[in-house]
Amino acid sequence: MNETTVGLVILGVVMLVAFAMLIGLVMLKAINRRRALRRRERHSRYVALISRRIAAKDTPEPIDSSTVVDDSFLDAVIDIRNVITGRQIDTLAGIIDGVGLARRQEQRLRSRFPLGRRLRAAVSLAEIGDESTAPVLITHLADREPEIRIQCARGLGRIQYEPAIEAILDRFGLEQPWVRARFADTLVRFGGKATWPLVAFVRANLRHDHNEGVIEAIRVLGVIGDREVGPSLAGILRVATDPEVRIAAIESLGIVGGPLAIRPLKYTFRSTDWRLRAKSATSLGHIGDPSINAVLARGLQDSNWWVRRNTASALAALPGGDELLLHAIGSDDPFARDAAAEALADCGVLAAARERDDAGQATDNDRLLLDYVGAGLQVLS
Amino acid sequence: MIHEILRWAGYGTIIYFIFMQVYMIGLGLRSAAVMRRVHHLDRFGRVSEMLSSQTSPPVSIVIPAYNEAAGIVDSVRSMSIVGYPRFEIVVVNDGSTDGTLETLIEAFHLERVRIPYRPDIATAPVRGIYRGRGSFDITVIDKENGGRADALNAGINAARYPYALCTDADVILDANCLIGAMRRVVEDRQRTIGVGGNIRPLNGSKVQLGHLVEARVPKKLVARMQVLEYLRTFLASRPAWSQMGALPLVSGAFGVWKRTAVIAVGGFTTGHMGEDLDLTMRLHRFHIDNEIPYRIVYEPSAVIWTEVPDTLRVLRRQRIRWHRGLMTAVKDFMPMTFNPRYGKVGMITWAAMFLFEYLAPVIEFLGWISILVALVLGVLNTTSLVILLALAFGVGLINSLLALLLDESYGYFNSLKDTLRLIVMALIENLGMRQITVVWRIRAIFGGKGTRVWGNMERKGVANLDGAVQRT
Repeated sequence: MNETTVGLVILGVVMLVAFAMLIGLVMLKAINRRRALRRRERHSRYVALISRRIAAKDTPEPIDSSTVVDDSFLDAVIDIRNVITGRQIDTLAGIIDGVGLARRQEQRLRSRFPLGRRLRAAVSLAEIGDESTAPVLITHLADREPEIRIQCARGLGRIQYEPAIEAILDRFGLEQPWVRARFADTLVRFGGKATWPLVAFVRANLRHDHNEGVIEAIRVLGVIGDREVGPSLAGILRVATDPEVRIAAIESLGIVGGPLAIRPLKYTFRSTDWRLRAKSATSLGHIGDPSINAVLARGLQDSNWWVRRNTASALAALPGGDELLLHAIGSDDPFARDAAAEALADCGVLAAARERDDAGQATDNDRLLLDYVGAGLQVLS
Repeated sequence: MIHEILRWAGYGTIIYFIFMQVYMIGLGLRSAAVMRRVHHLDRFGRVSEMLSSQTSPPVSIVIPAYNEAAGIVDSVRSMSIVGYPRFEIVVVNDGSTDGTLETLIEAFHLERVRIPYRPDIATAPVRGIYRGRGSFDITVIDKENGGRADALNAGINAARYPYALCTDADVILDANCLIGAMRRVVEDRQRTIGVGGNIRPLNGSKVQLGHLVEARVPKKLVARMQVLEYLRTFLASRPAWSQMGALPLVSGAFGVWKRTAVIAVGGFTTGHMGEDLDLTMRLHRFHIDNEIPYRIVYEPSAVIWTEVPDTLRVLRRQRIRWHRGLMTAVKDFMPMTFNPRYGKVGMITWAAMFLFEYLAPVIEFLGWISILVALVLGVLNTTSLVILLALAFGVGLINSLLALLLDESYGYFNSLKDTLRLIVMALIENLGMRQITVVWRIRAIFGGKGTRVWGNMERKGVANLDGAVQRT
């Protein structure tokens, strides 16, 4: 074969591939459009059918069990499930049982289908599953596919299946960050039921070096916000050596609050690590006890920028804190002045001062603040 | 002698062409595998759960604005309702002379504040800072003019959150784009320093109240050609680069950056014509040189819409500017090219940028010149030339069709007519348009009047696309 023949053969193959792709694209477009249209039609039909069944339970129209293989039916069930309440949910559960919809999704989940179908099954079970599907969902918390693990946890959270808390926590420290973050969302859904298992998990794993699972678990405790967990968090703060773990504990203590939280936070507010001081300032502000105003005010002179800023924000949220901030505006410390000015703007004191000024009723403090804000920006280093 | 030179030039061109096409198709196929997975996750993965999650990291949206008075309010309003649990908007008024600042003050009831502004990155002087008292968190930095990069740096200085989305004043964010991008951050908060988004041309689409209502293919061929280009770039190559861990470019219109990482490399380079490319590559170099684990990724589901040039005049300016930006970057990062120390970035993606982006117009131009010379000398092998040109056409078509097939998973273009329009564009883009862009890029390389300055993009603006279907 000479060069021209080789070239022609290659050209032929390329053109054939291009032509096949072109035809494929046009056909795919046409098929996709048609399928979407038909799916919408079937979905509407199923929504109407299920709605009638729910509305008139005694005179049921039959729902053919063959519909179970149709994903439009599954979508219709999920859509309706999300808008009904009370007895209607029981009726829908009866329909799901009757046609074996959940069982089919369990089979799909267990199968060797490609990701798309198994993921769809996991999402469906997360939406329509009940306690009978919980064992399957727990099994698949260890699925090879991260997104399926997330959906299984979500489903278990939705049905509030308590034994799942331990199962989720068993995997918590092992999971990749994305999955762990979603598991954390699920644990938050369990609310107070998850508090003590989480505390036990943190205690058991606290001594491991920089355990991301522990950090996330402490954050979850804060989000759940069970006040009784305060002493445990204070204990964790005392024992932990990893700064990230301590930061998470400080953050959660601030959310959980209570008088018991103040002492450990005052202690960390004097830490040599600026990150701990900055987070402690925010947490002390969250607790909202004005008795700590004087302690916090010292943070306005801190050597670190974030500590000053967080301290000012915290003071702005505390009763009597704005007085201290206004006092800082008149101080010699430029860092304290700017941090205070920002906080006073954020909490509305600046706007109120402007309004009083416009009405000719500005106080000395108002003028001090307005003059300071009106002056040119001072760049800090 | 001249015959020998022409013969070897021919062989060289063919070998270069084969390498380039194998690389492009390889990237396309690898991207297809990545996109398939992304498609499943988009469809069933419920990424939107991040919306209600209290563990989602907060983001600062940084918008540089220079003389954007006409559209800035709509843009900010559109961005203020992007789906994400916690974010602030930082608009940087870069010394506008058209009343952009006054428009913002009036629309969002801004008041001048004093905040401890810390110039982690040096910028042109900041004149004042304003905060809004409305339903969303907005800060406006008023500074002296210093260019887009300088404005972005000022915005990063003022940002309060650990991640900053650097974007433009004239784009439309898809409702889920921030969730999509931040998902990649949550996947690995320690290492993720940058996330790029999927940029799509807005021209011709239906926009209402600053939101995309219906994606359509533009009527003007210049804009339509760019739809194909963007699809090839963002669907058929970046997913693969990202998966390799060697993304050389996070486009300026949408880039989520870790603040501390950007500050560590000194921010965006002021005056650079490709500041996005420059920042991405400097971050690669910095982290590899200092052996800091990191990753810069691309997220195809983070979709934003931007207006593209719809006249040859504006497109020419843009392409010359882009190529000059690339040239500066090639020069700056030459030590990384084909350097195994820089792993896949040095050996694959940056090497490919050098070979197939920087050198491509030169080689293609030389190819055309040698054809002309051969024709004049009467030594042109017409059959071989026709085969080669047809091959180039066919492979280019395969690349475009692959991108269109990948785009089908998004289903933005609903009508069959729009797809057919793009197919026709894929067939005709090699007949003139491509050659024109080669000439522009050659002009950028050899300089000349008007190639070393920024030109106005002459956008119509999101605000002016409002209402009825705007087709260009």
